[in-house]
Amino acid sequence: MIKFSRYLLVAVGILVASIVIPSLYWTIFEKVPRSPNTFFSCVTDDFVVVEGSSRKSPEGKEYTNEEYEKILPLMFYRQLIADGTMPDSLKGVKLEMPAISRASSFYRYTPKKIDTPVPSLWPMFESQSGKVNLVMPEDYFRIGKRMEFIVARTNRINEEKSVLFTDAMTAEGFAFPAGIVAGLPTTRKSCDEGYFVTDSNGSLFHIKMVKGQPYVARIETPEDFDIVYIEAVDIRSKEFYCYIFTANQGIYLLMDEVYDLQRLPVDGFNPAIHSMRVSADLFNKSIHVYGENWYEAIAVDDRYEVVGTHGDRWENLYERSEGKMFASIFPFEIRTKDDNSAHVRFYFLPSPGYRWVIVNLVALAIAFLMIRKRGWPVRSNIPDLVITGLTGIYGLIATQFFPNKFNKFKPPVKK
Amino acid sequence: MFKSIAYKEWIKIRLVVWVALGLGLMALINIFLKVRHDILFVDAANYWYSFLFRGFTYFGILKFFPFVAGLAIAIAQYFPETVNKRIKLTFHLPVSENGVLISMHLFGALVLIGVLLTILGLFTAGSAIFFPGEIIRASLLTMMPWFLGGLATYFLVALILLEPMWIFRGLYTAVAAGFITIFLASAPIGSFRPVLLPLGLITLLLAGVVLFSGYRFRKGEM
Repeated sequence: MIKFSRYLLVAVGILVASIVIPSLYWTIFEKVPRSPNTFFSCVTDDFVVVEGSSRKSPEGKEYTNEEYEKILPLMFYRQLIADGTMPDSLKGVKLEMPAISRASSFYRYTPKKIDTPVPSLWPMFESQSGKVNLVMPEDYFRIGKRMEFIVARTNRINEEKSVLFTDAMTAEGFAFPAGIVAGLPTTRKSCDEGYFVTDSNGSLFHIKMVKGQPYVARIETPEDFDIVYIEAVDIRSKEFYCYIFTANQGIYLLMDEVYDLQRLPVDGFNPAIHSMRVSADLFNKSIHVYGENWYEAIAVDDRYEVVGTHGDRWENLYERSEGKMFASIFPFEIRTKDDNSAHVRFYFLPSPGYRWVIVNLVALAIAFLMIRKRGWPVRSNIPDLVITGLTGIYGLIATQFFPNKFNKFKPPVKK
Repeated sequence: MFKSIAYKEWIKIRLVVWVALGLGLMALINIFLKVRHDILFVDAANYWYSFLFRGFTYFGILKFFPFVAGLAIAIAQYFPETVNKRIKLTFHLPVSENGVLISMHLFGALVLIGVLLTILGLFTAGSAIFFPGEIIRASLLTMMPWFLGGLATYFLVALILLEPMWIFRGLYTAVAAGFITIFLASAPIGSFRPVLLPLGLITLLLAGVVLFSGYRFRKGEM
C-alpha cells in the first residue's frame, strides 16, 4: 500500500512535470511560425501572396503598395476612392459601394467549433414581427423528447407553445430528440431565420417562428449525409443560410429560400483537424483550407466554378529548430488544452523520432549513479530505473522528488 | 476505535469546519441574492442568455472555496500533529500504525466531503428556483473540478505536512501546486467534462498517499 502510494505520487509527479516543463520550454523558445496570407484579385484573376511586408504574385512578381491596393479594388475601395483611382466598372459590372459591401462577407471555421460544450437552450425569435428590430423572447427552447419552451421569468414550461411546435415538427416527420441545433441566438442580426436542426435520424430541418406560429421545413439531403456541424450566418447578400460540414462528404452551403445544397469545391476536408476561411466579394469567393503546416486557397466565381488555386506549406512545429530541440530532449508532453478543442483533456503528444532516447539514457544513468552513491540496492530500485528510462527527465525528477527509501529500513512487524 | 479517533480529530478540526461551512453558506447567500437582484434588473431571459451564450458564471466566488476548505481542514488536522512530532504518541498506541492514520484521514476526508456536498446540494437547490436543468447541470459540471480539487488539496496537504524533511515538503508542494492548478484552470462552462473521470480517479487514489509520508515519519527520516 505504501509502495503503491509512492508510485502513485511518482505518476502524479510525471504528469505535472510533463505538463509544466514543456509549457515553460515553449514559452521561452517558441518562435512565430510562417503564416502567409493570400487574396484573390479580380483584376489579375490570380492570387496575391502576402507575407510580412512582401506582396507578390504566385509566380514571384513583387507588387508595390499602390499596385497591391489597385489589384484588390474591392478590399481597398475606400482608399482607392480617396486617391481617385477607383475604377468605375470591372468586367462589365459597375462598381458601386452598396453592391460591393453587400457582396462582401467573411467566415471562419476552426475544429474547436465541433469540439466544444454546446448550449442546450436557445431563444426562438419572432421572424416576421413587422418590426425592424428583433426582440429577445421571454422563453428558451430545448428539443428533447419533444420541443419545450421554458419561460425564463417563471422557470416553467409554456405548455401551449411547446405542444404547438412539437406537433408541427411531428407532422413534418421530425424524429426526437434533436442532434445539432444551429442558429444565431442574437438580436444583433439583420433578420431572423430561426434554426437548422438535425433530428435523431440525421435528417435536416428548418424551424422558425412566423407570426407566433411554427414554421417547419424538411430539407432534402443526399443519402448518408453525415452532418457534424452547422453554422448559420447572416450575410448581407442573403445568398445562403448556413455552412454545413459533413464528416467526409465536404462542406455545403444551404441556399436561401430554395434549400438547395451547394457543395464547395473542397476535397479531403476533415472538420476535426482542418480550418477554413471563406472571404467573398462581388466577383469571387476565396476559400482557404488550413492544415497544421499548409494551406490551400481555392477561388471560385459566382457559380462556384473553380477559377484558381494556390497552396503553400511550411515547416511544422517539430521540423523547426525549437521543435527539433524539444523532440531531442523530451519523449512526450501532456497538454490540458489543445488548439483543436475547447475541451480540457489530457492530450498526450509523443515527440516524433527517437532522438529523445539519448536524453532518456542520460537520465537513466544519473538515476543509476544516484542509487549507487546512496548505497541503495539496485534490485529494489529497478521499477524506478524503468520509469526513468521510459519517461526521461520527467521520471528522473518524479522519482527523486519522492524518495524510494523502503529498502534502507526494515519496518518493524506490528500487529 | 474509529469512534474515539473520530472524536479526537473532530476536536481538532471542528472550529475550521464550522467556519468553512459558514463561509460557504455566506457565499451561497451572496450568490443567490445577487442572482435575484440581477434578474430583477436585467430580466431573467437576458440573465439566462449571458450564461448560455456569453459564458457568464454566477457562481464564480465558489471557485476557491473547496481549495481553501481542503487546505484549512488538512492544516487543522495535521499541523498540530507535527508540532513536537506529537503524532508519534498516536503511533505508539498498541494498534496498527497505518490503521490509525487511515482512520484519521478517512474521518477528515469524510468531513470535508460532507462540507463540500452540503454546499453543492444547497447550490443545486437554490439554482433550481431560478434556472432550468440545463443551466444547473452545466454549472455543476463547471464546478466539479473545483470541488474535486478541494479534495485533492486535502490529501496532498496532509502528505506535505506529515513529511518529516523540509526539503521534501518543498518538493511535494511543487508537485501538489502543479497538480491542483489543473483543477483550477480557467476554462469555458462545461469544458472539463472529458477530463473529470481521470481527475476523479487520480483524486480517489490520492486518498492513500498520506501513508507514504506517515511511513517516512514513523521511520524517523530527518
